[in-house]
Amino acid sequence: MIEIKDLRFQYGEGDFCLDIPHLQVKEGERVAIVGPSGSGKTTLLNLIAGIARPQSGQIITGATDISALDDGAIRDFRIETIGLIFQEFELLEYLDVLDNVLLPYRINSALRLDATVMQRARELLTSVGIGDKLDRHPDKLSQGEKQRAAVCRALLVKPPLLLADEPTGNLDVMNKDRVLDILLDYASDNNATLVTVTHDRDLLDRFERIVDFKQFLSDSRDGVAAPGQGLDE
Amino acid sequence: MSGIFYLAWRYLAFNRWKTSILVGSIMLIIYLPVGLNVVVEQSGEHLTARAEATPLLVGAKGSPLELVLNSLYFSLETPEIMQYSEAASIMDSGLAEAVPLYVRFRSRAQPIVGTSVEYFSFRELRLADGRMSAFLGECVLGAAAADALDLAPGDSVVSSPETAFNLAGIYPLKMKVTGVLERNFTQDDHAIFVDIKTAWIIEGLGHGHQDLAQPEAASAVLERTEDNIVANASVVQFNEITESNIDTFHFHGDLAEYPLTAVIALPRDQKSGVILMGRYVDGSAASQILRPRDVVDELLDTILTIQQFIVAAVIIVAIATIATAALVFLLSLRLRRSEIDTIGKIGGGRWHVASMLLTEIVIVLILSSALATGLTILTWRYGSAIIESFVLS
Amino acid sequence: MYRGVSLILIAMLLACTQEESRESTAATEFAAPDTLNIYTVNNPLAYFAERIAGDRAEVSFAAPPDIDPANWSPDAETIIEYQQADLIVLNGAGYAAWVTNAVLPRSRLVDTTSTLADRLIPIENAVTHSHGPAADHSHSGTAFTTWLDLDIAIEQARSILERLIRIRPDNESEFRQAFAELEADLRAADAQLQAAAENLGNQAILFSHPVYQYLERRYALNGYSVHWEPDVMPEEADWDQLQAVLQQHPAKIMIWEADPLPETTRRLADLGIECVVFQPGGNRPLAGDWLDLLRQGIAALEGVAAM
Repeated sequence: MIEIKDLRFQYGEGDFCLDIPHLQVKEGERVAIVGPSGSGKTTLLNLIAGIARPQSGQIITGATDISALDDGAIRDFRIETIGLIFQEFELLEYLDVLDNVLLPYRINSALRLDATVMQRARELLTSVGIGDKLDRHPDKLSQGEKQRAAVCRALLVKPPLLLADEPTGNLDVMNKDRVLDILLDYASDNNATLVTVTHDRDLLDRFERIVDFKQFLSDSRDGVAAPGQGLDE
Repeated sequence: MSGIFYLAWRYLAFNRWKTSILVGSIMLIIYLPVGLNVVVEQSGEHLTARAEATPLLVGAKGSPLELVLNSLYFSLETPEIMQYSEAASIMDSGLAEAVPLYVRFRSRAQPIVGTSVEYFSFRELRLADGRMSAFLGECVLGAAAADALDLAPGDSVVSSPETAFNLAGIYPLKMKVTGVLERNFTQDDHAIFVDIKTAWIIEGLGHGHQDLAQPEAASAVLERTEDNIVANASVVQFNEITESNIDTFHFHGDLAEYPLTAVIALPRDQKSGVILMGRYVDGSAASQILRPRDVVDELLDTILTIQQFIVAAVIIVAIATIATAALVFLLSLRLRRSEIDTIGKIGGGRWHVASMLLTEIVIVLILSSALATGLTILTWRYGSAIIESFVLS
Repeated sequence: MYRGVSLILIAMLLACTQEESRESTAATEFAAPDTLNIYTVNNPLAYFAERIAGDRAEVSFAAPPDIDPANWSPDAETIIEYQQADLIVLNGAGYAAWVTNAVLPRSRLVDTTSTLADRLIPIENAVTHSHGPAADHSHSGTAFTTWLDLDIAIEQARSILERLIRIRPDNESEFRQAFAELEADLRAADAQLQAAAENLGNQAILFSHPVYQYLERRYALNGYSVHWEPDVMPEEADWDQLQAVLQQHPAKIMIWEADPLPETTRRLADLGIECVVFQPGGNRPLAGDWLDLLRQGIAALEGVAAM
């Protein structure tokens, strides 16, 4: 699903540089990315999603070399192909739950919002347990409810690829499991690829593969560990 | 596009206070000069029309504007008083018809206009109900006055006392309403029309009382000589003119010296008008003559100047308001950074974001303009009624 | 400056009470109708107006035929008719007191004795009143059968003429011609009355009613007025009073407004007094016009004067 070759990304004039010679994620694979803070994990997700542009290298998602696409094509590709989940949920405060979930359909003319989509959104929200809160604004939701709404937003377009950046970072234990269940169940049911950045070691054994970002900060290569094998911090 | 409009609308609706203040501020900036212009234009038209319809006005020397406002619009400010002999002089000259006016008294908020029968044909006032006054003590109401006082032919209206505490002051006269005029959309609609002599009776210059020669009136007699009876203050004076007491009503002194506030002069022709005006040119006369149109034109020039000053002030305020609004918008953009980022991440391009923000501005402007337009229409349609209730209350 | 600004604001506010503008008239062009509608307060004035205006006017005199117009009060509807007239001819001198309290269009009024104030005869023994010692007195009143002085009658007719010319300047020559004829008739009647009065000399005359003041003055009649009605038999007290009057004023002629009762005539005849009818003519006669009535009165006077 994802293939990264000789990726090089540098933040502005700063010293930090992300240097990934090779990284591959198979279709349907559930991958957890771990590593020290500031190591570029979120940057990697942004690069895969096309939100950021590498200085050099290639990122192929599905059969598309997104590094060769222009901004408009990348956005269209992203909105149809990738479901994004953020640590801070990133719901719009002035939209209610249903409108937040439908947001991708309102901001991209490639997607058509119709009654079918709206019904699917309602069903999705009901399935995650917040079907009775469709008309509430984010400030009236708990942390867990917010993240579930954000997950529904990501899942509404039925993306083949899910990129989740610390999806459980701000949740309690119960909601962590609940949210992760939703993501993993979706990936499993739809043969979707799930790439998750997480600091939460308790959840690592639920992933098929763990990628330690330390390897991209040093000379070591292919620092891929199997689940449960543990990683150096 | 509908998605962008929807998002813009939801944002504005969610931040209703901020939106309301912005819409309200911009609406005021738009409405103030426009509404003012409507008011000024309407008032200009009406002032001009009423003045144009009144060829010449004669009054005591004093403020021409006060004279015109009192005579044409029955304002509360009473001009200097002149004598009835002036009206008689104009009539006798044969140069013009003279319509006397004595506009001083009120019945609640409605002006009582003492005048003559000729006023009605001059102003083309027609009866909607009842008949014209035939006797002293009768009155005819304008349509709006009848509505305001809830009166119809057969009812009575009482003049308001000028003071409650002055024993020598002007006391109320109860007058019979004989007719109501058709609405003609001028100040005449608000007036109570009485004969000039009835106005003098209200003033106390004419009155009716018990016959002092009768034994019943003995207590009201101060002194009795061969040819005159002097009455004291206890003589019972009638405060209503009825069929049974009308013959007792009389006037003391010379009617030529009785008061008027103005005389409307209707020249027989242009030449007669010029000759008539020439009689007042040398300034030695105790009265002045003027063309109401000239006074109104001068007034309108002044109003226009004031309007220009106000518009200039509004423009300055508008610039400040727009600058403030722009600052608010830019600051809110900062605060919305994360929202804009989110939209970008999810798949909204820069164009989408810009369109959404621009749409918010457009919606605010449309709402402001719509409200300003609505207010302007209301001003044009109802401003007069609101101002009327404010002025006459 | 504050006063000026407040006046301006008042002007704007007041003006905004209007909703429509009205068409203007720069000068009033009096559009006189084809036939003038003239109302008068008594018969002599109606006669004068008819003589002068001829076919150019329709003259109305609204008092009922059996009422003395001097004492008549019209109702509201009749006053409204007067209001709508093109010309309202008043006698003045206090005649028709109803005029004082009626609402009439001043521009269309002509008071035919307004310029003759110095020739009006005040009522004797009238009692006025005032409110307070220094206040203006009420008006004492004047005798009002002014037309019985035919010289005054001519002036009254002249007032009508001048007003008609002002209303209808195009018909001036016509009106003047008609007035001249009327004046000639009145001068002739005046001359007849003068002659009759000369024949009477200083002979004492009684007047049944105090309405002949102007006749008395103009023709230098030696008259005394009682207050007798033609259709009412005087009381005994009245006869006694008459006897007392006759002591000082030995009249042989009594001038009446109308034919007295036969009983009255007979009793007066017993006193050596001949009744002569000289109708003031305030109201329309049953037959003929006012001039006919005047001539009848003159003839009656000439008759007794010749005796």
